[in-house]
Amino acid sequence: MSIWNYVVTAHKPTNVTHSCVGNFTSPQELNLIIAKCTRIEIHLLTPQGLQPMLDVPIYGRIATLELFRSHGEAQDFLFIATERYKFCVLQWDPETSELVTRAMGDVSDRIGRPTDNGQIGIIDPDCRLIGLHLYDGLFKVIPFDNKGQLKEAFNIRLEELQVLDIKFLYGCTRPTIVVLYQDNKDARHVKTYEVSLKDKDFVEGPWSQNNLDNGADLLIPVPLPLCGVIIVGEETIVYCSATAFKAIPIRPSITRAYGRVDADGSRYLLGDHAGLLHLLVITHEKEKVTGLKIELLGETSIASTISYLDNAFVYIGSSYGDSQLIKLNLQPDAKGSYVEVLERYVNLGPIVDFCVVDLERQGQGQVVTCSGAYKDGSLRIVRNGIGINEQASVELQGIKGMWSLRSSTDDLYDTFLVVSFISETRILAMNLEDELEETEIEGFDSQVQTLFSHDAVYNQLVQVTSSSVRLVSSISRELRNEWKAPSGYSVNVATANATQVLLATGGGHLVYLEIGDGVLSEVKHAQLEYEISCLDINPIGEDPNYSQLAVVGMWTDISVQIFSLPDLNLITKEHLGGEIIPRSVLLCSFEGLSYLLCALGDGHLLSFILNLGTGELTDRKKVSLGTQPIILRTFSSKNTTHVFAASDRPTVIYSSNKKLLYSNVNLKEVSHMCPFNSAAFPDSLAIAKEGELTIGTIDDIQKLHIRSITLGEHARRICHQEQTRTFAICSLKYNQASAEESEMHFVRLLDDQTFDCISTYPLDTFECGCSILSCSFSDDSNVYYCVGTAYVLPEENEPTKGRILVFAVEDGKLQLIAEKETKGAVYSLNAFNGKLLAAINQKIQLYKWMLRDDGTRELQSECGHHGHILALYVQTRGDFIVVGDLMKSISLLIYKHEEGAIEERARDYNANWMSAVEILDDDIYLGAENNFNLFTVRKNSEGATDEERARLEVVGEYHLGEFVNRFQHGSLVMRLPDSDVGQIPTVIFGTVNGVIGVIASLPHEQYLFLEKLQSNLRKVIKGVGGLSHEHWRSFYNEKKTVDARNFLDGDLIESFLDLSRARMDDISKAMGVSVEELCKRVEELTRLH
Amino acid sequence: MGSILGGWPSYDPHNFSQLRPSDPSNPSSITPTTYHPTHNRTLPPPGQDISTESKNILIRHFYKHAEEKLRPKRAASELLAPENGSKQPRASTSNAPS
Repeated sequence: MSIWNYVVTAHKPTNVTHSCVGNFTSPQELNLIIAKCTRIEIHLLTPQGLQPMLDVPIYGRIATLELFRSHGEAQDFLFIATERYKFCVLQWDPETSELVTRAMGDVSDRIGRPTDNGQIGIIDPDCRLIGLHLYDGLFKVIPFDNKGQLKEAFNIRLEELQVLDIKFLYGCTRPTIVVLYQDNKDARHVKTYEVSLKDKDFVEGPWSQNNLDNGADLLIPVPLPLCGVIIVGEETIVYCSATAFKAIPIRPSITRAYGRVDADGSRYLLGDHAGLLHLLVITHEKEKVTGLKIELLGETSIASTISYLDNAFVYIGSSYGDSQLIKLNLQPDAKGSYVEVLERYVNLGPIVDFCVVDLERQGQGQVVTCSGAYKDGSLRIVRNGIGINEQASVELQGIKGMWSLRSSTDDLYDTFLVVSFISETRILAMNLEDELEETEIEGFDSQVQTLFSHDAVYNQLVQVTSSSVRLVSSISRELRNEWKAPSGYSVNVATANATQVLLATGGGHLVYLEIGDGVLSEVKHAQLEYEISCLDINPIGEDPNYSQLAVVGMWTDISVQIFSLPDLNLITKEHLGGEIIPRSVLLCSFEGLSYLLCALGDGHLLSFILNLGTGELTDRKKVSLGTQPIILRTFSSKNTTHVFAASDRPTVIYSSNKKLLYSNVNLKEVSHMCPFNSAAFPDSLAIAKEGELTIGTIDDIQKLHIRSITLGEHARRICHQEQTRTFAICSLKYNQASAEESEMHFVRLLDDQTFDCISTYPLDTFECGCSILSCSFSDDSNVYYCVGTAYVLPEENEPTKGRILVFAVEDGKLQLIAEKETKGAVYSLNAFNGKLLAAINQKIQLYKWMLRDDGTRELQSECGHHGHILALYVQTRGDFIVVGDLMKSISLLIYKHEEGAIEERARDYNANWMSAVEILDDDIYLGAENNFNLFTVRKNSEGATDEERARLEVVGEYHLGEFVNRFQHGSLVMRLPDSDVGQIPTVIFGTVNGVIGVIASLPHEQYLFLEKLQSNLRKVIKGVGGLSHEHWRSFYNEKKTVDARNFLDGDLIESFLDLSRARMDDISKAMGVSVEELCKRVEELTRLH
Repeated sequence: MGSILGGWPSYDPHNFSQLRPSDPSNPSSITPTTYHPTHNRTLPPPGQDISTESKNILIRHFYKHAEEKLRPKRAASELLAPENGSKQPRASTSNAPS
């Protein structure tokens, strides 16, 4: 790999951190707005449910998200503050459907200790000010003036240093906050303050309450007319105001989220750490609170946010499991639950670990993640591209073409499958047993190759061969009419629809026929300049049976020409450029737009937008799909038309938001495809590949496919073993049923096809699995699973004891072969020179696999290396060992065979707290750290002095904005050795927010080109809320902020393809590169993920 | 229990009335169109790029106290002029170490 890296998101964040409901997009519309860390999603509430409107990238990690209504406004505004101390107020402009920035700003202070308990951002219910608690001991106020404009912010000193929550109280003449805090004796209290805008200071508030529940953590302000605040603890819930104090005990639980139900604040939904949903009710009489009541409603995913939507529907946003749309029923179900889950929304977060495997052995990587936490833990199988689910297949060599035919015009289903070979044509049909068997259509010529076949009107079928066009009854199957090619001419290419036939013979002759009831009439003939290579008359106009346009691809001048029908007048001629002839042309229509697709002999595809009225071609784009000639065919799936491009790299072309998208099909090579919608195999495709004919259905048309395997427990480490076709995971199960909460840890063995758990090894009490590895040792041909553990005792700060367990899989069972006690937690295990390399607390330790006299095996310590705070992440390459330390960044060690010793070779002297490391190549190592940055360091072998050689030089820095838990070499897409993209090495990463990303190492030339494109895109694509892209991507930690270098933001670069043509032209001009070339180069990058 | 579970608020009774529940074992992963603003209104109108007042909170505190001290003492200053004067240099020395 190289130091020039391209970072791109394959799967966007799905961890829902915030949500709110209001009239954002119009005064009448109700919206749900969701924050997924670095993105917000705007949804519309409709009779059909939640309708997604927009996905908005935010150049920051969202710390707070609030909707508010300014005085005299009919619509809500959105307040967003980011973790890097930027904020913005957004407004929706319904006329342009754009997000407009009303205000923005920087609320950072030069001095201040960032709060430990997260940032707080709140808006006064009477819209007098925005309050922010970002640094200990400071409360920042951004006042509104009486026109709703924001004024200069100022700080107020806040005496309480350990703040747990702050909210504004309702119904106060002066803006009043209530502060929940902990004192230095760990007791918790609430206190109120009035904010005096004139004096820029606090005035002692109307009331306070001391000595609350020790677990009090959440404040819920109660609106008018009741006012006051609810304080939610772990064992009690308290209502507090200047005049009232009511408390109720609750079953011990940690409340993670709340959602207000009624506008008057009399009911709230509370979600706890176990995913239980409660309803909290304030009982009141004459606007006086008389008590609190709490009822268990049922179970959901563990909620991080709860938003009451409308009509008893509630959105549950989750960080640990899938988010949900639920309904609150009046009557309990059989299990006593009032909660009905109606919709689940995928969340891969937190991705704690993952592995890349090729389960189907097709050369296509799949990512299997350990996702979710606690009871919502799961495995997710994430796969790129579209799968074909095989229903039936037969061996058939040398297929030259395939077409499906119906037995009558009105038939819903296809009956016949015409399969053409070099010197014969065979007809397959479904028999009564729903089996495919060979049959005959008497009127067809089966002794020759079929060039084209199609259903025709009046229960007829058309067969075009090199010598004639045959019109056959689909009922009697007898020949009704025949058009013969003039002697001396043979038909080279042909196409047809229900009423028309267009064919070309040698010498550039184009012949147009129309189909009647038993009649084939030659309507027009034209002679073109050159030979014709391909043609199409797919009807995409108003009449589904008749096309008014014909498109023809030409040899020699390498052009496509559009003719009007029936008179064959040339309307448009487009030179394709280059020397590769068009091999397949297709007229098609997606989402109301008409397109001309033209596939070349070298695997490239040109697309144009076609004006059906004038035949004009615009918006030319070129992409590379494969390396071999492509054959284009339409098919439909779920009532939508798509295009299948058969080639060495089969692809489905589809449209989303009026943009053409290309998705890989998970098959190696497809020579021909035709839709085959039979009664037995509805909505299927017939696919010719590698001497085989397959009938199969196609997956949903989308880029990434995710399969969920729910575990009900938290998987923390995963590893695949090819030889035994199993996965092994380290997992833990929380036992919440008993009074004392306890955890149990396991090593589990799963079948890699069914994902069933086939064997379990329970770990000791307090013992948890920290690392897992599949490996083999020198002088032993067996493969083993090695598991590193730690005994996590409540009284110890760091584990002082652990184990390495070596398992073999025998008869589908985990058999413990050897175990070795260690003096600490085994954070990492690596196969190393036929031995086992373990990271144990501060130490790197190498173990030999020794044969004892009695024939059993044991791990024997060989050598080690001290000198880390905690060696958490280890990668190896040859004799080199790269260590990611808890707080001392990356160091490089080397194993010396002769001396049998491990020595430090070099280190990065920065104080980075690592979260993952990977070796990109011999000299360059990649790290991720806990301030959400990525960086690369380089070994300096040529350094002049020892000091220089001992220093790992930082060569790349980038703010990813995501917490990376794992890197793995590999790819989500099938890699073609002969394509450009196939040469680019990639690393996949998984993050806490559920992001799966790809880091690709680019050649220097390509890097420079894309860097230029990125800087031009920055000028065109603006940051939402005025946030700066350059600032967002700058490397940032407590000590420094420096511009990103040697990393490019692929998400920004690939958004080039979403731009309007005019904007693309702007960038094309600035770059001095054609739009077509830019599109092609960016499109290629999208194929990395 | 019935009493507290009924009467869920309704903004538009039609919302969710035609919802067709999806297969709960197959979570949906539809992401809407991604927004890429290219207009000029991503920057706020004049005066709405907010920053924090540059005056440090401690300095502000000093000034405020100085003002508060000055006001009542102006009346008393005629009587206690010498004492008042002796305070000023002490205030300046206490600033010196910083």
